[in-house]
Order: sequence, then structure tokens, then C-alpha cells
Amino acid sequence: MIKLGTLFWLALVSTTGFATFAVKYGVQSLEDELNRTRRAIIAEEHAIRADDAEWAYLTRPETLDEMNRRHLSLGPIVTKQLRTTVTDIPLRAAAPVPVDAPVVAVGEQPAESAQPTISASTIEPPSPEKPLEVAATRALAKPEPSRRPRSLDELIAQVAASR
Amino acid sequence: MIPTQRFDDNPCRPRHFKPPPCTAITPDGPAKQALEACRTRLRVTAGLFALVFAAVALRIVEIGAVGGGTTESQIARFRMVTEPVPSHADIVDRNGNVLAATLDSPSLYANPKQITDAAQATDKLVRVFPTLGAAEVHAKLTSGKSFVWIRRHLTPAEQFDVNQLGIPGLDFEHEERRVYPDGGLTSHVVGYTGIDNAGFAGVERALGDVLRGRREPLQLSLDLRLQYILREELQRVVDDFTAKGGAGLIMDVNTGEILAMESLPDFDPNHPTAVDPGHPAIPLADRMFNRITLGVYELGSIFKIFTVAMALDSGTATVTSTYDASHPIRIGRFTISDYHGKHRVLSVPEILMYSSNIGAARMAVAAGAQTQREFLARLGLLKTPKIEVSEVAAPHYPAKWREVNVMTIAFGHGISVTPLSFASAAAALVNGGILRQATLVKLPAGYAPQGQQVISAKTSEQMRRLLRLVVEHGTGTMAAAPGYVVGGKTGTADKISGRHYAERKLLSSFVGVFPINNPKYLILTMVDEPHPNKQSHGYATAGWTVAPATSRIIERIAPLLGVQPVDESSPEVQRTLMVESLQGKRIEAY
Repeated sequence: MIKLGTLFWLALVSTTGFATFAVKYGVQSLEDELNRTRRAIIAEEHAIRADDAEWAYLTRPETLDEMNRRHLSLGPIVTKQLRTTVTDIPLRAAAPVPVDAPVVAVGEQPAESAQPTISASTIEPPSPEKPLEVAATRALAKPEPSRRPRSLDELIAQVAASR
Repeated sequence: MIPTQRFDDNPCRPRHFKPPPCTAITPDGPAKQALEACRTRLRVTAGLFALVFAAVALRIVEIGAVGGGTTESQIARFRMVTEPVPSHADIVDRNGNVLAATLDSPSLYANPKQITDAAQATDKLVRVFPTLGAAEVHAKLTSGKSFVWIRRHLTPAEQFDVNQLGIPGLDFEHEERRVYPDGGLTSHVVGYTGIDNAGFAGVERALGDVLRGRREPLQLSLDLRLQYILREELQRVVDDFTAKGGAGLIMDVNTGEILAMESLPDFDPNHPTAVDPGHPAIPLADRMFNRITLGVYELGSIFKIFTVAMALDSGTATVTSTYDASHPIRIGRFTISDYHGKHRVLSVPEILMYSSNIGAARMAVAAGAQTQREFLARLGLLKTPKIEVSEVAAPHYPAKWREVNVMTIAFGHGISVTPLSFASAAAALVNGGILRQATLVKLPAGYAPQGQQVISAKTSEQMRRLLRLVVEHGTGTMAAAPGYVVGGKTGTADKISGRHYAERKLLSSFVGVFPINNPKYLILTMVDEPHPNKQSHGYATAGWTVAPATSRIIERIAPLLGVQPVDESSPEVQRTLMVESLQGKRIEAY
């Protein structure tokens, strides 16, 4: 009986001892792995910070302005580009007739010049006082092949005048 | 004593096995004492052991069940790696663009004892760093020491290149460095740092304690895009008029937030002491000088807005009041005359429109010295402004407020204030009369700090109408930005040199507000000692220098700020801006 008791305690002590060490080494290796990962995260965060600063440097207004000047030539937005309501948007101009286009009979070209007017009318709010037919017939009656707009502003002015 | 005989249960047992006729010995004398001492010692020892084991057991219970003790290991290897807090937090603008960042900046060093082929290593290093002298590097690598610096503060790209070389014996030491990606653009606001990232100027210095040990970036009210536009336009004025310097700020009149603040010339905070290659002649002190917060100036005619507001608010004048401006005023050794003289009786709107010194002086005298002083104090013009940069200056004003001071202060001479104080006070005149402290730190969206009502809302509305008049018909017509309803006031002051005013040295400034019918943003621009040029027809006054710049700035920034252009001639806009006393009258050009 005494020998059995001793054996039991001996077994218990060695088991607990082994278990303790096993847990300890397990924890140590886990801690090592955790620290490795944390170091990797910190390194990554530092890299992100450096990239952020580099991005800020590469996109500073001065550089963007210089690149715009070289590749895009965009200018500041001017007031007349800022239209506030739909009615401010001008109608699309009737397709200008080329100067060297063959002179055709007045009645033979409705499909060409009437189409843009119709497509423009879809974005225009309903304006019953300006029927399409009137605009179309006016365009047909006066083809004006010589007055070809040279700039967008001129084109807009022409359309505004024809309305 | 009779010996007691125990009862023998087995009479057949051999005799020597028989229990002796014995009894408990109860020793007497010294023996008894020795025995007792032994017992006591045993008990004490056992008690001590029990105590220690109990302590161990209790500790185990505490660690296991109660959660006492630390999880931190005493052994360095098992200690948690924690992220090093950067010594200073980043600074970003209101849209999150980085203005200042703390970066890990590796420095390259070599251990010459480990370098096998010094000549080859030198050759490779010089190819990565062309600015390093080959002879110098070779001397370092063959010095036989165990530590020599090759180059401090490398960029990540340079570090990558050095790693690519694969030279044994080279290593990096990690150091921290403050970098300013935008260079000189925000130098006067953000400031710069010295060794150990200690702030030496600007926000870096004033808010050093806030930045230190903080993780989240500090968000300023600045908008980098606006800052760039302001700086570019100011630089253009300075270059066009060969001026000594320029300054400007853009402020949200309803919150006091500063969206842009620039003082020219400026410096590169990454290399604060380096000479500007473009302008090597400009001294460093001049480039580091923040004209907005540290400079105090006699701002001249733009000060008349305060005179008019004071007269209207205190009730000593109404919009229809008139003052005789037909003759110059002589007081003591001074003569007050008009630059754009009309030589007749002028009404209050006309005094502002034509910028009449005589009219403003008479208006101030009618209100009185006490009223004027109190009014300026209420607007915060007689105390040092508070702002989140370390460079601020106190205003200069006469200790004794005599009549001549009243007259000169009425048109902005004899009192020197910082442009910052001026902007805060001017914002209060147009925003409904509420004075708010200017700030460089971004406020939460939709939050306006509690201000101080300094003038009535009615006076503020009258001021808006009058300021519009100046841009529509007065001295500030070139500041107009069609669609954005600009209102403002020009100011051209003679600079003091020594004890006298210098005729040819001007300080031209313009304060503009847009849209003036519903004020949102204030722009203050000034240019120091502009010289006339051909385009300006020989003028270097505010109307020809900074007023056109203000117009250009507004046209560029308004779309960014989301301000909708309106038709200025529409009846709704006209109604909010008309000045009743001038209705039906012919307004003559100044």
C-alpha cells in the first residue's frame, strides 16, 4: 500500500512537472510568434507612413499644377461654366453645313438638320411656345452655309440667336 | 511511586518479549526543560513552513482566480513588442493631406572591420549617393574603426538601393525625422522643428505639447488647395510689382477658421536655414517673419470700415449723414487730405466709396475719442491676438488718445495691428456682428464657436451694403468677381521709415468678403512696398495691386468652396445690397 501511494505521487509530480514545462514552452513559442507578427505589423505601419508622406509629396499642389500645365492645360473653372439650373444649359447646335458641301435642294435635307434639334429638345423642359416645326423650318429656310462657327462660344451665341 | 504493571495478555510469551514493567517517564529538572524547548522549536518551525506554503497557495489562487500579477515577462525575449509612439503626431489639413509627418529615417553606417573590399564598396556607394566624395568614403571605409557614419537620414528609396548593393558591413541606425511634404507652402503656419523634433515655430511650437506623444494626426483648418492658390496669386503680385513681400489669409467669417494663411517670402521647413536658390539675397530673418501674425502695420484706409461701423453702431451717424470734406484738415503739424479728393460735402457711403480721409476723420471726431477707443477694444484690436502659432505680436496704439490720434486712427494711421486681428474684427463687421477668435484648428462641421456680439446685426447689414458699394462703384472695382458678389475695401498706407512717413513706400491692402449678401469667406491680401509698373499705369495703390489679385483668388477658390455664382443684376440680389440713401442719385466714378 505504501509503495502504491508513493508511486501515485511520483507519477503525479512528474506529470504535473512535464505539463508545466510543456505549457511554458508552448507559451514561449506563441509569444515569439506574436512578437514576430507585431514586428512585421510595425514595419508595415512604418512603410505606410513613409508611403503616405511620399504620396503627399508627389501630389502636392505645385506638382499637380506643373503636371497639368504639361499634360492637360486645364484652366480654373470660370463663372460661365457653372450653370446652376437645367434651363441654363444651351441647346445643342444644329449641325453646321460644310462650306464645300454640294448645294442641294431645300426640301431634300430634312433628316440631316432636323435631327439635332429633336435630340436637343429631349433635355429641354417643355416649351410649347417654341414648337419644333418652327425651328426646323427656319433652319431649312435659311441654310447659311457661310457662317460656320469658329469657337464654342460663337456656336452657343448662334444657337441662342436662332432660338 | 508504585510501578504499575500492565496486564499481560499473553502469558506464554518469552520473558524477554514481555513488556517491561514500565511507566511514562516524566523527567524532572533540566531534562524536562530541554524536552520542552525541543517541542517548542518543532512547533515554531512547522508553523513557519505552514505559513510559507499558505502564502504560496494564496498567491497561486490570486494569480489563477483573482487575476493578480502581471503578464509581462521579466525576460527581455518574451516581453511584448510595442509599437514605438512617434515622438510627434502628424499634422494634416482639413481634407487630410499630410502637412507634417514623423518618419523613421534610417541613417547608414559602416563597420570598416567587416568590409572586405573597400574600393569596390566605395565605388558602389558613390553610385547610389553621387554627392558623396569617393575619396572621403574610401578613407572612412579603410579607417580601421568599427563605426563610421556614411550618410544620415536616408529616404526609403535610398535605403532600398543600399540594400540592393549587398555590401556586408553596412547597416542602418533608425532615427526619427520630421518631414514637410509641401515644403514652403505651409511653412509659416506649420512652422518647423529642430533637433529631437522640438518645435521651433508655428503650430509645431505652439501646439508642441499636443503633438507630443499623440497618435492621431492633428487636423488644421487649412485647405491646401486654397493655400496654394493664395500663395500663387500673392507671389504674382509680389513679382509684378517688385514688392518686398506680401501676405494674405482666407477666413471663414462664420466660424473664425483660417482656410489659408501665407506670408511671402517664406522658407522650406525641411531645410529652414538653407538659402532660397531663387532669391539668394533675401535674408533668413525676413523669410521666417510671419507678416500675418507677427507683423504689426498701419493698415491705412481699410481701417475706415471700423470708423464707419463705429459711427453707425453708436448712433452718431446714419447712412444719410454728411461730413464736409471740401478742405483738408490742419491739426498741429499734420494736414489731413484726400487721395481721391472730391472737395465737397460727402455722405457716409461716399466717404467709404471714395476713401475720404477727411470725412473719416470728421466722422470719428463726431463720435469722440472714448467711443472710438472702446469700439476698437471691443473688436479685439487693442490686445494681442490669440492663435495656434507661437509668433504673435501686440498692437501699437497711442497711450493717450488725443484728438489728432482720433483723426488719424479713423483712417488707419497711428495704430498698428496684426493683419490677423484686423481680419477677425472685419469678419465680425459682416457676419451679423459676432466676433469669434480666429483658429487654425479644424472645427467640427456645422459648429460655430460662441462669439461675442460686438455690433448690432443691423449695423452689420448696413456695412455689407456699404462694402458692396466700394467694389461696385468705389476704389475697389478691380476686385469684382462677377457672379460672386464681392464686397470689400481698399487700403493704401504710407509706411513709416524712422520717424516720418515715407512717400514712396506703400503698404497696399484689400479686405474682400464674398458673397457679401450672405457672407461666407473673407480674404485679406496685402503687399509690402509695391512699385508701380506699366500695366498699373504708374499706380501701386491697393486698387491696382491687391484688388485684382483678390478677384482672381475668388474666381479660383469659389468653385472649390462650393459657392454658387449668382446673377448680380437680379432683383433679389440687388434688393439685399442697395443703399437707400443713394437710390436715384447719379454715382460718379472715383
